[in-house]
Amino acid sequence: MEKYTLIVTEKPDAARRIAEALDLKGKPKKAEEKTVPYYMANRDKPLVVVPALGHLYTVVHEHGRRNYYPVFNFKWAPKYVAEKGAEHIKTWIEVISKLAENADSFIDACDYDIEGAIIGYTLLKYACGNKESIATRMKYSTLTKAELEKSYAEQMPHLDFGMIEAGKTRHEVDWLYGVNISRALTIAANRYSGRYNTLSTGRVQGPTLKFLVAREHSINSFVPTPYWSILATVEIQGATYPVDYQKKIMERKAHADSVVQACLGKEGTVERIEEKTIQVAPPIPFDLGSLQSEAYSLFGYTPRRTGNIAERLYLDALISYPRTSSQKLPPVINYKAILNGLSQEPAYTKLASELLAKEELKPREGAKEDSAHPAVYPTGKRPERTLDEAERRIWDLVVRRFLAVFDEPSVKQSMKAAINVNGHHFYLRGRRILKEGWMKYYKPYLRMEEISLPPIKEGETVQLKSIVREDRFTKPPPRYNPSSLLKRMEEEGIGTKATRADIIETLYSRKYITQERIVVTDLGFDVIEVLRQHAPPVVSVKLTRDLEEKMERIQSSSEKREKILEETVDRLKPVLTELKKREMTIGEALSNAVKWARLQERIIGECPSCHTGKLMVLFSRRTRKRFIGCTNYFKTACKTSFPLPQRGTVKPTGRLCKGCGWPLLFVHMRGRRPWNLCFNPACPKKEERRKLLEMRGLQSRGSGATTK
Amino acid sequence: MKCEVCSREVQAQPQSKYCELHQKAYENLQKKFEAWKKASNIDWKEYLNEVAKNPLTGIWAKEVAESILSVKE
Repeated sequence: MEKYTLIVTEKPDAARRIAEALDLKGKPKKAEEKTVPYYMANRDKPLVVVPALGHLYTVVHEHGRRNYYPVFNFKWAPKYVAEKGAEHIKTWIEVISKLAENADSFIDACDYDIEGAIIGYTLLKYACGNKESIATRMKYSTLTKAELEKSYAEQMPHLDFGMIEAGKTRHEVDWLYGVNISRALTIAANRYSGRYNTLSTGRVQGPTLKFLVAREHSINSFVPTPYWSILATVEIQGATYPVDYQKKIMERKAHADSVVQACLGKEGTVERIEEKTIQVAPPIPFDLGSLQSEAYSLFGYTPRRTGNIAERLYLDALISYPRTSSQKLPPVINYKAILNGLSQEPAYTKLASELLAKEELKPREGAKEDSAHPAVYPTGKRPERTLDEAERRIWDLVVRRFLAVFDEPSVKQSMKAAINVNGHHFYLRGRRILKEGWMKYYKPYLRMEEISLPPIKEGETVQLKSIVREDRFTKPPPRYNPSSLLKRMEEEGIGTKATRADIIETLYSRKYITQERIVVTDLGFDVIEVLRQHAPPVVSVKLTRDLEEKMERIQSSSEKREKILEETVDRLKPVLTELKKREMTIGEALSNAVKWARLQERIIGECPSCHTGKLMVLFSRRTRKRFIGCTNYFKTACKTSFPLPQRGTVKPTGRLCKGCGWPLLFVHMRGRRPWNLCFNPACPKKEERRKLLEMRGLQSRGSGATTK
Repeated sequence: MKCEVCSREVQAQPQSKYCELHQKAYENLQKKFEAWKKASNIDWKEYLNEVAKNPLTGIWAKEVAESILSVKE
């Protein structure tokens, strides 16, 4: 068989696109071995493009059992060695190894970032047999034909070893932290309770949870203070307009009352009308964080969801590589070509054409740079398949943001009329847009409302139509949501653009936090309390940030991997000794927290009969059935109970039934769609449904008779 | 010694009747009383009653206020 060049990519979609772009006829031959797809293409020589499935190799404990710590000896090994459910990876690696045997040259075409560098490196080193030193590197930011051809023609002569060292260090340091601290917590809890519960934390997870706990502390110990404000309206030419009082906050009730007394039923004079013109600069291009934040505030998508959608759009070659921290759009991406492409899409034809008519195209850019990729931008390609609603929304957002950055600032005018009522000043405010500028492109996502001022002149008399005192209280600090937490992680410099969203999801899956407006669970509190008391470096934001900075310096060769690993071990050793010394105390705290968390999961709500007990999911030892019972059964002999489905998962939803106001349960059985169950036998909704089903039954019997 | 509100250990320093969490809430209650007194001219007990029934009050601050009120009663 003729020798070929083996190109390794990160994912199957990327392999297909690269093969299609590089094949001279644009029609590579798809082959499959043991379900692993690969592509055969022809260019200057035969090419075989084979995908990975993300990371195929990971850091594992070199030797030894899983039930002790500290462990500092590790190695890189196939993922199936360490993870349950990763058995298919074995086949994948075997196929790649087999394809490598017939290759005489190798190209790493994984995404150009730390994770991509590690995926390519481990594949070439372990699966292909130490080919990392002879492999070349394709660097691209979009999966468009033109860019892929260019990156193939201008391959980097070798892999980016700085990036690889940085990636290896990050994975190894994370493993050292994760394995040791998680084992310490799990073993402590297990030894105390004799029951196995996995408790975990990580290098970035700990400090992130600490932010949340600190916020929870502020909310829980918050004491509101009263203040007062004035709500007033004026009547001008038969219409009513709200006006602001000169002082927004009054700390004494008597002060607010005196204002109301002085102005009630009085007329006012328009003293002056001020107009201000403000220029509003266009927005800056999206980096991953700002895209995730905008998508959360506009559509309510979690950062991880936005990240996943953006990844799919990138693999469809619709947008550039989304895992970027750049806010720059260099001219090399070819603004005109992108706009020409976008002008083919009916929704953007007019907008793109207007920009194309400009003499010069110069984007507004932000300060952040990323040496690997530019900011997120549309490639100008049109979708080859029908995008689902979420994909279309994110694509539209990226396109419109891209268009907006090229246009001129918009001009807004704000108007303020000062009205003097018995010596007190009230302000009537309005605003309007004088020149749309960039807002024209970003209109669907803007939240500015124009408020027109009525036709009034200085010296005119107006009637104060209503005035009341409003009693108010200061509010506690807001809870974090996934987007604001991601922003905080970014500001604090912990985690990377690729990992932050996943870390937040892990905190949810570990049950350390719940709800969209994040609430820390008792388990989350106790884990942080244990770490704060016995392992402070593990939750220290400063130490985590310092470590991040050091790891970034590896990329530019100004820091050594070995030194950082040594420092990590030195930092962990005393922490782990302390954790071991206090194992029983820690175990007691954590076991109780786990027990409490499990109990909380079973509590459904207040008992509708005795109103003092709680309804919870219970198991009868006698009948071996589960049911809902009242916790007051032993105290006050409250015998309230309800039957439950005996199969599948049952858990409280935290929501109430719209029909009767009783708590709803979430039921999930294998092979059936999950549903919400109201367990109130007398729920009016149930009666409604029964009647509806009866009606349908009658109708179908009736229509059946007609057909016959 | 146990906290007057929950079963956690009380803070060793400074001498306190509360655990670390409830102590912080107690300090907040004391600090904000001045603002309430200035605003509405109310006494400590009225203040605690107001705070205990306010939905914006944090759970720990509410627990401390209720605990003080129950002792006084």
